[in-house]
Amino acid sequence: MLQLILGICLVSALASCRKESPQINDPKRYIEGSFSEAFEAYWNGMNNNYIFWDTDPTNWDEIYRKYQPIFAKMNINDSTDVRKSYTYFKEMTSTLIDSHYALRINSPYVQDSAAYISPSDARHQKSPDYHGNINPNFFYSTIPPKYLDKGYVRGFINLSATDQFFAVAGKIKGNILYLHFNEFSLNVIKDLPTPNNAQKALQYYFDEVKKPEGLKGIIIDVRSNGGGYLSDLDLLVGGLTDKEFPIGATRSKIGNGRLDYTPWIPATVHPGKDAKLFTGPIIVLADLNSVSMAEMTTMALKAMPGGNVKFVGERTWGGNGPLLNNNDYYNSGQFSTGFLSLVYTSSTALRYVDGKLYEGIGFPPDIEVKYNKAALDAGTDPQLEKAISLIPQ
Amino acid sequence: MKKKCLLLGLGVIAGTLTSRAQFSIGLEGGYNKNHIITNIGFRAFTKYEPLDGFNIGIPVKYDLNNWFAIQADPQYIQKSYKIVRSSYFEGINHTNKNSYIQLPLMAHFTFGGQKLKGFLNLGGYAGYWSSSRIKGTQINTFAKEYELPDGAQTPSILDGEPGYSYNEKFTFDSRRDRRIELGVLVGTGVSYQLKPRYELFAEGRYYRGLTDQQKNYMLNQIPRYNDTYVIQVGCMYRLGK
Repeated sequence: MLQLILGICLVSALASCRKESPQINDPKRYIEGSFSEAFEAYWNGMNNNYIFWDTDPTNWDEIYRKYQPIFAKMNINDSTDVRKSYTYFKEMTSTLIDSHYALRINSPYVQDSAAYISPSDARHQKSPDYHGNINPNFFYSTIPPKYLDKGYVRGFINLSATDQFFAVAGKIKGNILYLHFNEFSLNVIKDLPTPNNAQKALQYYFDEVKKPEGLKGIIIDVRSNGGGYLSDLDLLVGGLTDKEFPIGATRSKIGNGRLDYTPWIPATVHPGKDAKLFTGPIIVLADLNSVSMAEMTTMALKAMPGGNVKFVGERTWGGNGPLLNNNDYYNSGQFSTGFLSLVYTSSTALRYVDGKLYEGIGFPPDIEVKYNKAALDAGTDPQLEKAISLIPQ
Repeated sequence: MKKKCLLLGLGVIAGTLTSRAQFSIGLEGGYNKNHIITNIGFRAFTKYEPLDGFNIGIPVKYDLNNWFAIQADPQYIQKSYKIVRSSYFEGINHTNKNSYIQLPLMAHFTFGGQKLKGFLNLGGYAGYWSSSRIKGTQINTFAKEYELPDGAQTPSILDGEPGYSYNEKFTFDSRRDRRIELGVLVGTGVSYQLKPRYELFAEGRYYRGLTDQQKNYMLNQIPRYNDTYVIQVGCMYRLGK
């Protein structure tokens, strides 16, 4: 009987030895009456939604230990403290590898021009090779008369007050098909009910691709292209193949833990309807400012079986994790808080077909031709000229 | 002091020894339902569900007298669970089928008649998470959308595009996964003395994991514990004279 009583007491006492489960709240539900709460909302949002903790060098726990006491001493209603917080947010995020990553501070004390924090932007600007986008007018007004045959098609359309799409398509030397566009809204443009010149430029390209027997090569120019819709991948790259092919894999989150990942899910390009395999040389032009879909397209083209694709230009930006504006889909990705109206971050991680992650690194070219401002100012395009030279006549 | 405690403990045990001390060995098998005790945080349209499993073991019992024994049940046991999504994410799910090699050690208290007896088990266990298999369906970022008629509704994402289904061996992550599990157990059941040496038994047992399935690798970590409810039957064979 003594043993029974002792046993019941011991087992009962031990049975309650479990850690308490913390309450994890939705970052946007915090009532941020203090900088302490603003910090908790952001830190916890990142803790549970950021997709790259597996490989990111940032020690997020150390960030909490260092900055939580700092934010606890600041006043969210004090303009000086708000401006200080901008510096602290920059410091906290400086080593994050997500090269889509951006924070937008929601405060009247931080000017619009300074409201965005982009760690990858700050990183790239420190590089001696850093340069801004090639002027859109160069693609629209300089390249066509100098490099394209007569009969090229170009057009632009305003998709919104702040979003203009343009495309240029034509032939070089009669048998090299060239296409440039500034963002991946190809399906959107294609489906616009009102005919427009941008749509005509794209249609010219897609019509020519369906007659590959007349082409010696194709140049797809995604330089200074900021990306866009993932669905354009099958339209553009799928238009050059008659078979599905893998470009790598993606994964997202399965739980709240930083390392709770789904398995790697194959990422494939699907052939377009009636698409024909293009076996001639395909040159993809990309540069430092080719990011997101522009990078993924470069990587996808390079993954085409057949080995007939070359990448000319510069190592790309390094932001190739696909993203959605809602973290409910993948248990990861974009979120917002009261103080940060946007925490812009990838929803999934992309692993390339060679098994490597190029996030924060950028995809390297086969043939490096660096940005040459002097040449561009003089109206010449060394990168395009190199691409043309790689297509035998 | 330690010597005195040990002597006291041995004295308590010795005080229960009688000429009836004897070993028994057997075979048991059962069905279980495992619940993962955790929480989903702020994740929407997501819940954890318990899953069925089975266990098989070789109980070894040392009867100290006619009402008290020490028993060990080295066993293989499954402790599985599922994550299920709902509403627009209906069809998205993930199953963890976890296998453990476990050693429960317990005090076995018997009461009742000569042939038909009742018993109560109280004790603890140590287990090793030996392997796992994951199975499920997830959203495929690069899925080709179905061609649907204009204006068609998609109540669930999988109405609009195929998900990615998988069934594969789980790769442990040494930064996160705690392979050793410790816990307590309580069980109760009935036994029937079939012949002088054979005893049949049926038992309902509860295993309560006290160690998180994960190592402490991050601040504000939500723990995960196994709660396993077992129904099992078996047979013991008394060794010796």
